[in-house]
Amino acid sequence: MTTRKPFFLWRHLNKLRWLSLSLVFAMLILLPCLHVYQTYVAAHAYDLLAPSEKQFYDVMESLTVPFIDDPAEDLDVVKGNTWSGNFWGLKLSDPLAVLGQMAAGLSLYWPFILTALIPVLVTMLFGRVFCGWICPANFLYELNSNVAAWLQWAGLRTGVRRFDRRIKYAVLGLGLVLSVFSGSILVAAIYPPAIVGRELYYAIAQGGFGVGMVFFVATLLFDLLVARRGFCRYLCPGGALYSLLGRYHPVRMRRLVENCNDCRKCNAVCEFALAPMTDGFGQECTNCTACIAVCPTDALTFDIRLFDHPEQGPGHLGRRYRREQEEPDNPPSEEAA
Amino acid sequence: MRRRTFIKSMGGGTLAALATGNSAAATSPSSTGRYLRPPGALAEDDFLSRCIHCGQCGEACPNRCIKYFGAENGAAAIDTPYIIPREKACILCMKCGDVCPTGAIQPIPREADAIMEHVHMGKAKVDENLCLSFQGKTCGVCYRACPLPDVAIYVGRLEQPHVTDACIGCGLCERSCIQMPQAIRIIPDRGKK
Repeated sequence: MTTRKPFFLWRHLNKLRWLSLSLVFAMLILLPCLHVYQTYVAAHAYDLLAPSEKQFYDVMESLTVPFIDDPAEDLDVVKGNTWSGNFWGLKLSDPLAVLGQMAAGLSLYWPFILTALIPVLVTMLFGRVFCGWICPANFLYELNSNVAAWLQWAGLRTGVRRFDRRIKYAVLGLGLVLSVFSGSILVAAIYPPAIVGRELYYAIAQGGFGVGMVFFVATLLFDLLVARRGFCRYLCPGGALYSLLGRYHPVRMRRLVENCNDCRKCNAVCEFALAPMTDGFGQECTNCTACIAVCPTDALTFDIRLFDHPEQGPGHLGRRYRREQEEPDNPPSEEAA
Repeated sequence: MRRRTFIKSMGGGTLAALATGNSAAATSPSSTGRYLRPPGALAEDDFLSRCIHCGQCGEACPNRCIKYFGAENGAAAIDTPYIIPREKACILCMKCGDVCPTGAIQPIPREADAIMEHVHMGKAKVDENLCLSFQGKTCGVCYRACPLPDVAIYVGRLEQPHVTDACIGCGLCERSCIQMPQAIRIIPDRGKK
C-alpha cells in the first residue's frame, strides 16, 4: 500500500494563521493610533500637546515618516476594521454587515453590497476562513481557550458544556428579523469582531470603551465558564452566515485514513468541536489547520471536493483497525456497537 | 443569550430615557436631543437603517468632532455617530462622507456650492438676551468663525449677528461663542424623526 503524505508546508499553516490573526489585531490598534496622530498633525499645535501626547506624536511620526509625505492626507488610504474597511480605495465589508443593512433598510444599495463581493467569494471557495484566519475576536477567544487550559492545569474547572450548534442559525435569523423591525442594524451589537474593532477604536481615540465591551467581556466569560468557544460555536450570527455561505466550499480538510492512528488529538484541538478523526468537518470548519499541525502521523490534509469524504472508519494505524483485520468476520458496525 | 442581550440593550435605552428626568444626565445629548449627525447624513430614519456602526466616519474626522452614542439614546442609536457643536464643531472637510461605505453619510465634494446644497445639519439661532453684541458690547466672534460669512451669517450694527437660511449648521459659531452659556446655538435638522 502506498502511503500518501500531505504537502509538508501545510502543517506550518497554523503558524501563518496566528501571524495573520496577530497582524489583523495589531492593525486594529495601529489604525486608531494613526488617526489620533493625524488629528494632532491637522491641528498644527505640537507645542500645545501634553508631554505624553508629544511622545505619542514622535513615536507615530517615526513609524510613518519612511512611507508618507503628508500624514493628514496620505494616512487616509487605510481606514476601518474587519466589519467594514477601506484599503487604498478598495472598500471591503463583512457579509453580515451587508445582510444586516439590507434587513434594516429593506432596500438594496449596490455600492455597499458590492463591498462584500470579495469576502463572499473567498468564503464560497475556502469556507469559514474569516473566523479562523482574520476575526479579531477569534484571536482573543483562542487566547481565552488557552487561559481555560491553564486554569484546568491548575486544577480549576472551566466550562465544557455543549449545546446545539444550530442555535446560531436561529440567532442569525432572529437578529435579522429584529433589524427589520427596529430599522437599525442590531446584529452589529452582538457580533464580536465588529465589537472588538469598534471598541479598540473607542478605547484609543474616543477616550474609553463603550457599551459593546460589556457584551464582549460577557462572551469571554461565557466561553471560559460555560462552554469552551461557546459563542463562536453556538451563538455567533456571523459564523452562521459564513457557514451557510461556505457550505459547499471546494477547499476542504480531509483525513487520510491509512495514516490515522485514532489518537483523537485533532478532535481535542478543534476549536469548533468538529470531529476530524471521524471525517466530521462539515460547513463549520474554518480551515484553521490546527488539526493538521497537531496530527502526529500526517493523516490530515487539504482536498478539493464539494462534500466531506464519507466516514472512512477507524484509522489504519490504530488498534481497532488491526483487530478488525484479524477478525474479518466481525463487521465494523458491530464493533462500533 | 441573544435575546437576553437584546432585551438588556433595550433596557439600557429605557433606563437612559428614564434618567433624562435626572439632573445628572442633563449633559447627555439625548436629554435635549440637540445633537447633530455628520455633514451629508440622511434623514434620521434612513440614516439609522443605513449606518452599520463601523466607526469609519469618526476615524476619518481630522477634527475628532464625531463621537458615538452608547446606550443613552436608545437601542437603535447605539454606536451611531453624532456631533455636539459646543464641544467640537464640524469643519466641513467632508471626509466622513467619502469613507462611509453605506451612503448613510452621503459623499459630497468639498466645494462651497455642493456643501450649501446638500449639507443640512441644522440652523444657528441667536439668543439676543445672551448675545454680547445685542447687549451693546461689540463682539462678532461667531461671524468670524463662520465658514460662510456674509452668506450664512451677517452682522449689523455693533456686530450683531443675523443668521440667514443659507446656514448649514456646522456649529463653528456655537463652538466659538465667548458667552457662557453660548448665545448662538445650532437647532438640529435631522429630517423626519
